[in-house]
Amino acid sequence: MEIKYTVQGLLIYITISAYVLAFIASAAGRKKAGKVLFAGGFVLAMVSYGYRWIDVQHVPLQNLFEVFLSLGVACYPISWFCRRFLRIGGQWADMLIGAIVLFPAGFIFHARVMQLPPALQCWLFTPHVAVYMLSYIFMAKATFQAGEQLLGLRPRFEETHLPPEQATYELISIGFPLLTLGLILGSWWGKLAWGDYWGWDPKELWSLASWLVYVGYFHWRFMFGRKYPKINSLWAMTGTLAIIVTVLWVNLSRIFSGLHSYAT
Amino acid sequence: MGRFKRVLLWAALLAIILLTFLSIYGAFLGAERARAFFNSLPLGIYWFALVSLLAAGIAVFRRLLRVPALLLMHLGCVLVLAGGFWGSKSAHELRHRLWGLEKTPEGQMAILENTQDNRARIADSNELATLPFDVRLNRFRLEYYEPGYVAIESRDGRRWRLPARPGETLALDDILGKVSIQRVFKNFKIGIQGEERVPYDAPGGSNPAVQIRVEPPGGPAATRYIFEQFPGHPHPEDQLAFTYNRVVSDYISELEIVEDGKVVAGKHIEVNHPLHYGGYHFYQHKYGANQAGQYTILMVVSDSGLNLVYAGYALLVAGIFWHFWGRRALAAIQGRRAASNTTYAGLPASPEPDRS
Repeated sequence: MEIKYTVQGLLIYITISAYVLAFIASAAGRKKAGKVLFAGGFVLAMVSYGYRWIDVQHVPLQNLFEVFLSLGVACYPISWFCRRFLRIGGQWADMLIGAIVLFPAGFIFHARVMQLPPALQCWLFTPHVAVYMLSYIFMAKATFQAGEQLLGLRPRFEETHLPPEQATYELISIGFPLLTLGLILGSWWGKLAWGDYWGWDPKELWSLASWLVYVGYFHWRFMFGRKYPKINSLWAMTGTLAIIVTVLWVNLSRIFSGLHSYAT
Repeated sequence: MGRFKRVLLWAALLAIILLTFLSIYGAFLGAERARAFFNSLPLGIYWFALVSLLAAGIAVFRRLLRVPALLLMHLGCVLVLAGGFWGSKSAHELRHRLWGLEKTPEGQMAILENTQDNRARIADSNELATLPFDVRLNRFRLEYYEPGYVAIESRDGRRWRLPARPGETLALDDILGKVSIQRVFKNFKIGIQGEERVPYDAPGGSNPAVQIRVEPPGGPAATRYIFEQFPGHPHPEDQLAFTYNRVVSDYISELEIVEDGKVVAGKHIEVNHPLHYGGYHFYQHKYGANQAGQYTILMVVSDSGLNLVYAGYALLVAGIFWHFWGRRALAAIQGRRAASNTTYAGLPASPEPDRS
C-alpha cells in the first residue's frame, strides 16, 4: 500500500471519490447527480493523465501505474458510447469500474518516472497498449452485464436497454476486435524488437489464452445461441478473469518472469 | 444442422478449449521450455489437426464461404499456422533434406568493429552456419538519456537521486547537508598545471564522471569525483555513498552487407529497427568489449514463413473488424438513411446468426 502525497496522487484520489460518489448517488436514485459526478470524475481523470503525460514526456502507458491511470480515463467515454450507440446501460457499473481501476494507480503501484528502455521506443508501443486497454474496459463492462444476467436482474432505468445476456454479447463483440488487434500489434512489435513474432513468453501465452476464451465464447454462442444464457455469462466472466491474470498476475508474480517484466 | 457439422463444431470448440489450457500450462513453463513444448511432436499433431479442422470447417460450412468476413478470419488462422510451420526449425530441416536448401533458422554473430564476418553460431548448438555474404560492423555505439543522475545513499538506507547537470543542488537533511553538481565529464582525465593536478574533459574516449561538492552543515565542504565505470568503495568515515548512472536510450550497430567484395546494403540497426537482407533479419542483440576492441552481437533470424504469418494477421484483423464492427456500422448508416423506425439513433444489435 502506497499513499501518494503528490499532486498526481491528489488528482487520483479526488477522481476515485467522484466515481464512488457517482455510484452511490446513482444507487440512491439520484440519477442526475450521479451523471454529473461521473462526468466530473472523467474530467479529473483527464487532468490527471495529462499531468502525468507532461511529467514523463511520453504517452503514459509504460508501467502498471500508467496503464491503470489510462483505464480510469477510458471508462466514461466507453460508457457514453455504449449508451448512445449500443443501447447498453449499466452506467452504475461503469462508475464502479472507474473507481476499481484507479485504486491500484492510487494505492498500489509506484509513480516513479522512468525513461523508456530502447525496446519501448517504437511507434507500435502506444497503439498496442491503448487498444488492449480499451478492450479491457469493454470486457469488464461485459462481465458486469453477465453478472446481472446470472443474478436475474433487468436493466433498471431505461426500458430501451438491451437485456443483460445480449448486452454481454454486444460488448464482447465490440471488445474482441480490439483484443485481437492488441495481440497482433504486440506480435508485430515483438518481431521488430526481439526478432520473433511469437516468443512463447508467459505474458504472450496468457494473452493468447484470454483471446481463446472469447473465441470459444463466440463458437459456443454460435452453437447454442441464448439456449444456455448462464453458461454464456460464465464464459464471458472467465474471459475477464483471464485478462486480470494477464494484466496483473503475470507482471507481478515471480512465477512468470519474461520479456514483459519491465511493465511492472 | 447435420450430424457431421455438429461433430465438427464440437471438435473445433474442444480444440479451442484445449489450446487455452495448453497456453496456460505453457505460461507456467517459461518461454524456453514452452517453445520446446509447443514445437514437440504431440503438439505438432495438434497443430496439424487444428489446421485440418479449420480447412474442413471452411469446406463444410456454407456460411463461412457466404460471409466473407468469417472466411477471412478462418483463412487468416490457417495462414498464421502455416507460416509458423514454414518458419520453424523443423521446416528448415525438412527443406534441407528434401531440396538441399541451406538456411539457418536462427543464430548469433559476434563482429568486432571494423571487421566483417559471415559465420553465425546456430541457436541451441555450437555449430557454425555460413551466410552467403559478409556482415561488416563499421562502428558500435551507445546513446544515453541526458542528463544522467547521481544516486546517493545514506548509512541508514535513505536514497536520493540528483540529475547530473551542473548547478543542480539537493538538500539532504540538517545533518548530512547538501550535495551539488559542479561539472560533468564525458571523458575524465587529469592533467598537471604547475604543481596542481587539474581534471579536464579530453576529446574522444569515454570515462564519464561528475564532480560534486558535499557540504555538511558543521564540517568543511569537500569536492569528490564520481566515475560511472569505476564506482569505487565508500570509506568507513563516509556518511554518504555515491554512484553516477546513465540510462541507455539506444544500442546502435552501423552495419554493411558485403557480397563479392561490394557493399550491397547498409543500415544503422538499433532495437526495433533490424536490417533485412538475403532472407535474414539482423537484430541488435548484445554488445561487449575485449582486448581487440568493441564488438556487437547480432541475432540472425530467417524470414521464412513471415509473409504468410503477416498475411494471416491481415486477414484475421480485416475479417474480425468487418464482422463485428463493419456490419454494425454499415447497418447503422443504412438504418439512418432509411429513417429507421427505431427510437434511438444508434447501431442495431447484431442479428442472431444463421447456423446453416
